[in-house]
Amino acid sequence: MADVPEESKSGNNMTDDQLTAADFQRVDLDSLATEKIDTPKYSYWGSVAKTFFSNKVTIAMLAILIVMLGMSFIQPLFSGYSLTDVGKINDLAARYQWPSAKYWFGTDADGKSLFDAIWAGARTSISIGVISTVIVTVIGVVVGAIWGVSKKIDRVMLEVYNVITNIPVLLIVIVMSYTLGNGFWNLVFAMTVTSWLGTAYSIRVYVMMYRDREYNTASRTLGTPTLRIVTRNILPYLTSVIVTQVSLSLPSFISYEVFLSFVGVGLSQNTPSLGRLINQYQTFMTSYPYLFWFPVIALALITISLYIVGQNLADASDPRTHM
Amino acid sequence: MLANGSEVETVLSIRDLAVTYGSGKSALTAVEHVNFDIHKGETFSLVGESGSGKSTIAKAVLGINPTSSGSINFEGTKINGKLPQKLRHSIDRKIQMIFQDPAASLNERATVDYIISEGLYNYHLFDSEEDRENKVRKMMEEVGLLPEQLYRYPHEFSGGQRQRIGIARALIMQPDLVVADEPISALDMSIRAQVLNLLKKFQQEAGITYLFIAHDLSVVRYISDRIAVIRRGRIVEVAETEELFTHPIHPYTQALLSAVPVPDPKLAQHKKLIVYDPKIHHYENDKPSLVEILPGHFVYCNKEEEAKYRSELAAVAN
Repeated sequence: MADVPEESKSGNNMTDDQLTAADFQRVDLDSLATEKIDTPKYSYWGSVAKTFFSNKVTIAMLAILIVMLGMSFIQPLFSGYSLTDVGKINDLAARYQWPSAKYWFGTDADGKSLFDAIWAGARTSISIGVISTVIVTVIGVVVGAIWGVSKKIDRVMLEVYNVITNIPVLLIVIVMSYTLGNGFWNLVFAMTVTSWLGTAYSIRVYVMMYRDREYNTASRTLGTPTLRIVTRNILPYLTSVIVTQVSLSLPSFISYEVFLSFVGVGLSQNTPSLGRLINQYQTFMTSYPYLFWFPVIALALITISLYIVGQNLADASDPRTHM
Repeated sequence: MLANGSEVETVLSIRDLAVTYGSGKSALTAVEHVNFDIHKGETFSLVGESGSGKSTIAKAVLGINPTSSGSINFEGTKINGKLPQKLRHSIDRKIQMIFQDPAASLNERATVDYIISEGLYNYHLFDSEEDRENKVRKMMEEVGLLPEQLYRYPHEFSGGQRQRIGIARALIMQPDLVVADEPISALDMSIRAQVLNLLKKFQQEAGITYLFIAHDLSVVRYISDRIAVIRRGRIVEVAETEELFTHPIHPYTQALLSAVPVPDPKLAQHKKLIVYDPKIHHYENDKPSLVEILPGHFVYCNKEEEAKYRSELAAVAN
């Protein structure tokens, strides 16, 4: 009730300074102006970068990742570390030295710097992870795209997929390692020979999801060949799916390598790797714990930073996050 | 067209067309015994309720849906069934489509430049990169888009603008026949007229023939030269627009027309709503077919009904 006089008062104010025709100005409808779009120009990769770098955790993890990668690929060039070098093996004073200013991570059973050993090992582990991921992703995406659009191939591939994915991957890798022998490329081959099927299958599912969308029918009526429909209409939508796949498979291949080296299959005797270090020094966990923990921390930092950076890149590459 | 007395050239001729989805026990015949001709430069509309098979016919014309029997002749060439790849490719250029949903029918990850040029790339309809861009810019101006929007993405446009992108990419191919599958039903009321007038403008300038699909009868009356009414996959009546609206013969057409809202409450109060009951037809012994009951006016009926319709027409004429 108290509001009523207020309202009538404001109503009176309105009539006091009355609006006249002179206050108005005629504005003609400009049909061209209505066509103008008032949004900033959108660039897909620009928006991905913007979303990606807006997260502080991502930037920190990216910094860690760059340091780890830089150290792994540059430090071994200068340290001259070799697993087969046993020059100091009889020098008892040089063995099992605790971390110091000279040997940052201490020395191992052969009297060599653990610092050098970790980076040389990390280089092998990361190389295996990256190479395997590239192979699996390229084959997986190409095969998955063909698999998704061709009904004939789908029938055959589905059976192949069902048979092969029922065999545990670990079994395949171990059998392959024993038959092919140990070695860097043999391990890469053993790890990638069947795992591309998983990537291909998930790409197939997404391709099938997008295949029958109306804009693809539209492209077909414009005479676009299937290959271009896949590369221009479907695969661009799968960027975030592919990035997610990569971000998951990179750390998982690294841990696979570590696990295989730990159980003693995979790499040959003269190749350093993080898995070999962890396996070698697990018994020193109580006597010389630094020998075990430094390689484990290095591994953890690599896989965690890779995983988080990859996940955030996958999120950023999803255009729904571009606000 | 018939009206200006010049001779009629048939662009599309459909005879006894049937389209079946699935096979065996799950087979579903979506359309059957479809017969009609579309003349050069006219707008031929297919109207019917949802699920009546309008889009199925459109997709069969475009070669997206395989047909199970009958024939589709386009400019004298049979275009359904297995075709040599070269012929299919050359026909694909001549028959273009405008889609219902402008949001779903544009590739969200491609620029307007690519979307409009897509067909040009497929048929190399340009001499140089410069020529292509000029063609695209000219087309954009013709449909009322600004050339500076060339490198933008579809999601930046309004619904009406997106539909105009869809029209631009179909018409830049210089098609002979354009299938417009409910091109304005997803659009706001205020921009429907805009898009319809754009379609009419191109028809006058380039002599394009339209197969127009709609369920909105007021729109159909505005744009079409001839109309086919379709129910449950069968064409029940074909006639010129004004003829159909003034003298609907088939009871289903009468019911459909009586359901059109009248924008005057006083008239609407006295409007008689006709309800169509399919049980009035007795087709068990006497099989129906599409009969030309008046010149250019076809009705789906059997012998008995034909006689009844003819006597009714005679009574009206007297």
